[in-house]
Amino acid sequence: MNEAPDGQLAIEVKGLIRVFPGHVTALAGLDLDVHYGEMVAITGPSGCGKSTLLNILAAIDSPTAGSVIVAGQSLAHIRDLSEYRRHEVGLVFQLHNLLPQLSTLANVELPMFGSKFSAHQRRARALELLADVDLKGCEQRLPTELSGGERQRVAIARALANEPKILLADEPTGSLDSASTERFLDLLRHLESDGMTIVMVTHAPDVAAHAHRIIEMRDGVVVNENTS
Amino acid sequence: MSFVHLITRNLWSKKARSIGLIFAVAFAVLTVVTLGVTSSGLEQSAAAIISVGKADFTVVQKGVADTLSSTIDNEQLARLQHTPGVASAIGVLVEIQKINAANPVFIEIGINPSDLEGFGVRVVAGSPYSPTAAHEVMLGWRAAANLGLHVGDRFNANGTFNTVTGIYSTGNAFGDAGAMFPLPAIQGYNRVAGIVTLAFAKVNPGTSVAAVTRRIELAQPELTTIRTAAQFGRADRDLIYLQAAVNGSTVLAILIGAVIVGNTMLLSLFERTHEFGLMRAVGWTRRRMVSLLLGESLLLALIGAALGVALSFAVTAGLSRLPALRGVLHPNYTEDVFWRALYTALGMTLIGALYPTTRAALLSPLKALSYE
Repeated sequence: MNEAPDGQLAIEVKGLIRVFPGHVTALAGLDLDVHYGEMVAITGPSGCGKSTLLNILAAIDSPTAGSVIVAGQSLAHIRDLSEYRRHEVGLVFQLHNLLPQLSTLANVELPMFGSKFSAHQRRARALELLADVDLKGCEQRLPTELSGGERQRVAIARALANEPKILLADEPTGSLDSASTERFLDLLRHLESDGMTIVMVTHAPDVAAHAHRIIEMRDGVVVNENTS
Repeated sequence: MSFVHLITRNLWSKKARSIGLIFAVAFAVLTVVTLGVTSSGLEQSAAAIISVGKADFTVVQKGVADTLSSTIDNEQLARLQHTPGVASAIGVLVEIQKINAANPVFIEIGINPSDLEGFGVRVVAGSPYSPTAAHEVMLGWRAAANLGLHVGDRFNANGTFNTVTGIYSTGNAFGDAGAMFPLPAIQGYNRVAGIVTLAFAKVNPGTSVAAVTRRIELAQPELTTIRTAAQFGRADRDLIYLQAAVNGSTVLAILIGAVIVGNTMLLSLFERTHEFGLMRAVGWTRRRMVSLLLGESLLLALIGAALGVALSFAVTAGLSRLPALRGVLHPNYTEDVFWRALYTALGMTLIGALYPTTRAALLSPLKALSYE
C-alpha cells in the first residue's frame, strides 16, 4: 500500500514533551521510531501519555517541546495541519465518533470533502471501503442502527478514505466484545499486509500481541520494547 | 453526497431548531415586507393623484405634511403660468371625502370647466357643469358605476345635493373613481377662496422639462415640482416619515432577528462542538467549516425569506380588508420589496451567524472532541 522512501522512517519522535496547564506532564522526553509497514502497539497504564502521543501524531494536539517527523515532514513546520490530517494519517477512536445524523456512507465520505475526489468519486470510494470492511448493504443505515463492531469498522473505512500512509488507532477495541475485537484485528492485519503503517494504543495485552512491536510507556516515556 | 446535501441533512437532523430559525427569519421578513408593501401602496395611492392630470409635472407647496394640505394662491399660480417655457398650468383643488362605508376614500377635484380638456378629461355622457354653479357635479365613470348614479341624478357630497351633469373619463383609475366640481364651488365649501392644492403644468414643445422645473423652484422656492410618483415624497412629509419608519423597522427587524439567530446558533455550536471537533480531526479546514455553517445559515435564510414573503401576502390581504383600511391600502408588491426581504433575511442570518461560525472555525479539534 505505501512504499517506504529510502531509509526514511514513517514516524520519528525525539525528546517529546507535553505539559498540560497545571504542570501536568503527560510526555516527558519520549523518543520513538516507527518504520513503514510496521504495526506498533503502545501500551501502559492509564495516564502514562499514550493517547497524548497519538493526539500529537494526529496533529490534533501540539507538543510543548521536542520534534515529531511523520513521513519525512516535521509537524512543527507544516503550515496546513488540516491537509496533513486529511492525507497523511487516518484516525480511529475508541468511541467510533461517527456523526449520528449521517448515513454510514456519508460518514465515510466525510473526510473526502475538500480532497481530490469529486462527489461521484467520493461515493464510489466510500462504497468500496465499506465493502472492504464487510459492510456492503449497510450504506444507508444510520450509526445507531449498527452494532459496536460495525461502527468501529465504519470508523476504519472513514480513516482510510483519503488513502493515508499511517493509521492511528486509540483504544480501537476498548468498547468491543471479543468477536468484534477479533474481526477488527483481522482487518488491521489485512491492512498491515497491504503495507499500512499502524500505531495502536491499547490496554489489552491480547490486542497488543498482534503488533510487530509492543512499546510500553510509563510516566510519559518509553520504558520497554518487545518485538515479536 | 454533495456539500449541499450535507447541509440539508444537517438542518433536517435538527428539525425543531431549523424550523425555529426559519420562523425567526420569516417573521422579520414578514414585518419588513408588510411594512414595505403597505407603505408603498399608500405612497402609490397618494401619488396617483398627480397622474390624474395629463401634465409634464405637478407643482405643490414645499414641505407640507400631506400633499393635500398644499396651498397655492392665485398670485403664485399666475407667476407659474408666466414662467418661461410653461405652456399651461391648471390649478385644481383636491380633497378626499368619505362618501360611505364602501367608498371611504373618494377624491373630489375642483376645476374650471375650461380647463377640463387640458387636464385630460373627456366627457362621455351629459355635459360639463357651468363654471360658477353651486350644486353641479361630474362623476368619473367608475364612481358613477360604483354609486349607481347617472346624468340627472343627485349626488350627496359636502353636505349638499349636487346634480350630476355629466360622466367623465380621464384614463386614470384613481381620477375616474372620483368627482369633479366647479372650482369656486369647492373652494367655497372649504372656505379657501382663491386657493388651489396642486397645479398641473405642461411645457412648450421642445422645451426641457427639467430646465423649466428648476426655473420654477428657483423663482418660487416655496413650491416644489414632482415629475414622477417616485418624487412624490419630496412634497409629502407624511410619506417621508412613513419611509423613515419603514427603514427604521427594517433595521430593527434585522437586529432582533440577528440576536435570535445568533443565540440559537450559539446553542447549536455547544450542542455540535464534538461534531465540529471530529470534522477538524478528519481534515476539514477552517474555511470548509465556515462554508458548512454559513451554507446552513443561508439555506435557512432563503427558506425563511420565502416563507416571510408568502405570509406577508396573507397579512396584507387581510389588512386591506379591514374596514379602516378598505379603499386606502392597496398593497404594492414592487421588486424593491422582494430585494429588501432578501437583504433582511441574509443580513440578519449572516450577522447572527458571524460569531458562532467564527468560534466553530477556531475550535481546537482536541478540546472539541473531548467536549461533553
